[in-house]
Amino acid sequence: MKFSIDDLPVIFPYDRIYPEQYAYMCDLKRTLDAAGHCVLEMPSGTGKTVSLLSLIVSYQQFYPTRRKLIYCSRTVPEIEKALAELKRLVAYRVECAETEEAKEKERTFMGLGLTSRKNLCIHPEVAKEKKGKVVDARCRDLTNAVACEKGRADPGSVPLCDWHENLGKMEPGSLIPPGIWTLADVLQYGRDNGVCPYFTVRRMMPFVDVIIYSFHYLLDPKVAEQVSKEMSKDAIVVFDEAHNIDNVCIESLSIDLTRPMLDSAARSINKLGDKVDEIKTTNSSKLLDEYAKLVNGLQEESADDAEDGFMSNPLLPNDMLNEAVPGNIRKAEHFVAFLKRFVEYLKTRMRVLHVVAETPLSFLQHLKDITYIERRPLRFCAERLQSLIRTLELDRLDEYAALQKVASFATLVSTYEKGFLLILEPFETDNASVPNPVFHFTCLDPSLAIQPVFERFSSVVITSGTISPLDMYPKMLQFTPVVQETYPMTLTRNAFLPLVITRGSDQVAISSRFEVRNDPAVVRNFGSILVEYSKIVPDGIVAFFPSYLYMESIVAAWNDMGILNEVWKNKLIFVETPDANETSIALENYRRACDNGRGAVLLSVARGKVSEGIDFDHNYGRAVIMFGVPYQYTESRILKARLEYLRDAYRIRESEFLGFDAMRNAAQCVGRVLRGKTDWGLMVFADKRFARADKRAKLPRWINQYITETASNLSTDMALTLSKLFMRGISQNPEENQTGISLWTLDDVLKAQEKQRALALEAKEAEDEDEFGNGEFTDQMLIDLDI
Amino acid sequence: MPTSVCTAKASYKKLAGVLELNDTHLQWAQEGKGPSVRVAHKDVQALFSSKEGAAQVRLKVALVGDDTGHSFAFTSPKAHIEREKFKAELTVIVSRNRAAAEAQARAPVPQAPPKPLQALPVKPLTPAATPQRPPLVSATPSRAVSVSSAEQRNVTIIPGNDPATDVRLRKTVLMSDPDLGALHRELVAHTGQLSEAEFWEGREHLLLSLAASENQRKGKSGQMVDPRPETVDGETKIVMTPQMIHDIFDEYPVIAKAHRENVPSKLSESEFWTRYFKSKLYHAHRASIRSTAVQHVVQDDPILDKYLEKIDDELEPRRQRNERVELFVDLGATFEDHGETGNEKDITMIAGRQRGALPLIRKFNEHSERLLNSALGEVPAAKRQKLNTDNSYGQIDIDDLHQPESSAGIVLEMQDRQRYFEGGISTAAPDAALHKPVDIKTLIMHAKVNMEGWQTKFTQLKVERPAGDEALISMTKNVAARLDVKSRKNDIPDALFRQMTICQTATNEFLRQFWASMYPPAAEVQVVAVATPAQRAAKAAKMLGYLTKTQEKVDALVYAGPQHGVEPTRIEIAMKPVLDAANRAIAFHRTKTAPKPAGTRG
Repeated sequence: MKFSIDDLPVIFPYDRIYPEQYAYMCDLKRTLDAAGHCVLEMPSGTGKTVSLLSLIVSYQQFYPTRRKLIYCSRTVPEIEKALAELKRLVAYRVECAETEEAKEKERTFMGLGLTSRKNLCIHPEVAKEKKGKVVDARCRDLTNAVACEKGRADPGSVPLCDWHENLGKMEPGSLIPPGIWTLADVLQYGRDNGVCPYFTVRRMMPFVDVIIYSFHYLLDPKVAEQVSKEMSKDAIVVFDEAHNIDNVCIESLSIDLTRPMLDSAARSINKLGDKVDEIKTTNSSKLLDEYAKLVNGLQEESADDAEDGFMSNPLLPNDMLNEAVPGNIRKAEHFVAFLKRFVEYLKTRMRVLHVVAETPLSFLQHLKDITYIERRPLRFCAERLQSLIRTLELDRLDEYAALQKVASFATLVSTYEKGFLLILEPFETDNASVPNPVFHFTCLDPSLAIQPVFERFSSVVITSGTISPLDMYPKMLQFTPVVQETYPMTLTRNAFLPLVITRGSDQVAISSRFEVRNDPAVVRNFGSILVEYSKIVPDGIVAFFPSYLYMESIVAAWNDMGILNEVWKNKLIFVETPDANETSIALENYRRACDNGRGAVLLSVARGKVSEGIDFDHNYGRAVIMFGVPYQYTESRILKARLEYLRDAYRIRESEFLGFDAMRNAAQCVGRVLRGKTDWGLMVFADKRFARADKRAKLPRWINQYITETASNLSTDMALTLSKLFMRGISQNPEENQTGISLWTLDDVLKAQEKQRALALEAKEAEDEDEFGNGEFTDQMLIDLDI
Repeated sequence: MPTSVCTAKASYKKLAGVLELNDTHLQWAQEGKGPSVRVAHKDVQALFSSKEGAAQVRLKVALVGDDTGHSFAFTSPKAHIEREKFKAELTVIVSRNRAAAEAQARAPVPQAPPKPLQALPVKPLTPAATPQRPPLVSATPSRAVSVSSAEQRNVTIIPGNDPATDVRLRKTVLMSDPDLGALHRELVAHTGQLSEAEFWEGREHLLLSLAASENQRKGKSGQMVDPRPETVDGETKIVMTPQMIHDIFDEYPVIAKAHRENVPSKLSESEFWTRYFKSKLYHAHRASIRSTAVQHVVQDDPILDKYLEKIDDELEPRRQRNERVELFVDLGATFEDHGETGNEKDITMIAGRQRGALPLIRKFNEHSERLLNSALGEVPAAKRQKLNTDNSYGQIDIDDLHQPESSAGIVLEMQDRQRYFEGGISTAAPDAALHKPVDIKTLIMHAKVNMEGWQTKFTQLKVERPAGDEALISMTKNVAARLDVKSRKNDIPDALFRQMTICQTATNEFLRQFWASMYPPAAEVQVVAVATPAQRAAKAAKMLGYLTKTQEKVDALVYAGPQHGVEPTRIEIAMKPVLDAANRAIAFHRTKTAPKPAGTRG
């Protein structure tokens, strides 16, 4: 399908288009034209990704500037899906292109996805490692500049990675033929041609039109500096599935230290000291060189550095100091002693048996009083450690991970004053008696980490299926969007049925509120919801719990009450486990059971591993049951601190934030059942608190609009009756034609455009009469400006 | 025609008759009647005969899936010789069947019901029989057997089914739907107005769905084996069945191992289980979270404790699985996508804190996987990642955004089509002319003039009282009438009512048959060979014959009304829709078969 929005020809890889998709694309174009940021909420399953890519690729291909697209998603499955979507889109564009020249232009369009070494490694030995950190370290040993130099000069002296070496022989910029490569494709290409997939992607990044990777690669300064530094400023940045973006921001600036970590760091320091002594006798010129460099404040930078950089500054670009490392840590042995003292101090702090919460400033003051460590050298800790490790040419860096963490902690704590808090928790839980102290350095302000992104890139698109209420995000992330929009879902028949179950068939109110959640009556009523739905719903049912703790205890309780035995009669049961790979296998089996018709129930946790990035469309999820409201654990001190900060800094009330956070996660879980408008599913909210209007108001509009008054306060048996009725209806062939209402053909698009133009004309006439004219730029002016 | 291999006089269920073995079936017919017992060769499973010198010379045939079988007694004077002949022939057949059954059992995936395949080679035998075949019945091997008197019984509706199964299916369908059963009894069995094949035409889906649901292999039950003790008379008992033991071995290979190594060498069967249920092993395996508490009470068991495994409650599973899943569901890849950042999750969100639940959860996942594998077979590691490669876009595709493929539809056959369209044009033309010069201004003017002085007019408006009263009275009457009807709804005597119902359902059936033969045949009929137009016409005529009699039948009912104390008019009204429908069909048929005017097609 081919149509144009204003003057931009858009190619959409389907014969039909949903009205939402069209509106979404219009708003997106408006944002890009205005070179501003936007927040867009589009119903789950209505093809958000394809609309987004379709418009942006059209935009890139039409305008000569060819702005690069940086597309960020949350999880690897989502990245892979976006890549597949892009691949199909470009294939369709090639098909649609009229001239051979245009076809060629489409064929040279390039898109790649980036993930970690662990996911992309094909080295037979290294790839077997279980931990990503170990893979990273071993890969660096085989591919860093020094090793390569040595190995090439004297083959066989140092083990090198053949796949990486083969890549070096090729011409930069053409390591892989143009086109769209999914992660699986790149892996296969690497295997077939004997080149390293990871470095292929890394080195091709400056040449691609679209790069797809996860949030962290742009938001986490430790990674972003290595990966995303060279992205041009006019690039279009998209955060898809961005409903949790504030958490990613906070995480990228927070650090935890535990006692084992400090012990390991202390060991690493001793090793460093030995190494320094050793190198002093054998090759002291190296250390002198380093010293000289540090005196001059030279940043060791070379093209390769970015690639084998093992650990970079944890600071945001604006906060980095461009000055020479202070004198008292320039000498290697001085620095080692400095670190030793710092770690000793931290260890002493951990002996305290009561909870301490303090600001970075008071921490630094205390540190200075006890150890005479000043703030300035502390700020250079991470950088200095990096330099030392490079000078000493250490290998197996994963063994130094704890030390690196301590150094990052030192740098962060001495750089930031506002928006951070230090919390020392000596015990894991309130009634634990054996101390297991954790030192949390926690970021409270999500806007800090994302600020550089907003400043650097002109267009940032924040989008998801569930980011209601929309104004929360600009408030929390401190930016002003030019477009802020949520789209309702147009349906000719209700494709999904949201139900709020507030009480069991025995009229006992159900809730996951802490006081009643383990009440046998509540547990039984939750159980009977699952049993009854497993009887009437075909294929797959997904159930979400508010926390792992609750899920694990309720699964055990259900088993003892014989509730699960009833479920076994109708469906298989799969449960999310702590291990990711184990859960993946369970998930795969769940899908097989759904495909086979045996049917299965998947028990999982809201904001857990499964709830993010796995879709349960069509037969994979005919019903989603949300047991309880997925509130965060309010006793958590970190959460309390964050709430306090939000209240003081941004005037967001505690209860408002908690409710918002719970509802966005509930909506996220429930929204995963739909893809396309012929798909259908039941959405069951089982908690009496969902019946409250203020809770429901926080759900996305597209879900809320279909919750009827009757369906908002049901008992289990009533809900079952409604569900049966719904399923009987929805299983019929849709009689009415969706076309024109919830499904547009090209003609409908043209008609809508006609109407829009007429409206715009009218508005213009009205505006002309307004002699005060508001002085804003019109869209047209901005479009012209952009070209 | 099938060739008879041997025949003999034999009685069956104390009725005298003739037993015949031909090249496909063993059949027995009562004297002077059609065969009432027919056994296909492939259904014969075993053979039993009475002892030499017994009072009666008997031969018993056991069937596949029916051990009671049929028992025949040879009655002719040379009974022994005859029986030996039958025995010799049947023994060959039985051994052939057994060999086939074993081969089938050994076949790797016996999923598709092999019946149609087996039936196929016999097909070449049929040509001789086909010309006599009644219309609408497909060629099936079984049709080869005597067609004459047994026709009604031996009709198969679904090709590939052997007649016995087919009959059984039909019987089941009729039994499960009493109304349909009654109709069948009335039309096919009693009056014979419809043949069996005709009756089932258009209802094949009932048989097909029944056959499909019967052929569906039932998987293992999902429930986990969890032997729970029962207390009977103060004694705690656990009842074990062989199935349970099998399930336990399946679920816990360790117990199978322990059983293999200790029974019967060290322990007897019952000793083993008694010890097992008292051991730590049992409590470790019990699918319960409470078992941890019980462990302190349980005594040590020197034999079984050796088999105790470490409890699988670590964060990482004891049994590491290295197979990589496809990227679309790979959670581990996300986990390793970037270095860990941020603070640790709060205690409620750390998975695996409830240590006791972990073995349970793992057991659920394993149990489900085992069940799935038992039905689908294991997924080979190599294939695992390629599950979706054949249509990798399948997971991201939104199917309703594609252009729907248009169906051919039924062309509307219209009489005088040309005239209709011409007429339309001619009437539309002046219409368009009429509509064109609408002057909005004058319209508004008119409206304005009309509206002038509406207030005064409105005050003068008077609603006439009688009109309102009348409406109310009529409504009241209506309600009363309906109430009246409701109160004496069921006063038609049962016998008459039943007759009326029969008349109605029968007519409906005729109508169904009639219209089915009038409509163009549905494209997706896969069951019966499509009838030729001539056959269809003949059938329509036959049905019409029945339909024309509807009037008489209704008249008879009306006439019988007063005898039962029912007003004839009521019966007339009740039967009117049926009569109308029948007349409509008759009228339609008349116009259709009437000589057509030139230039149009009926």
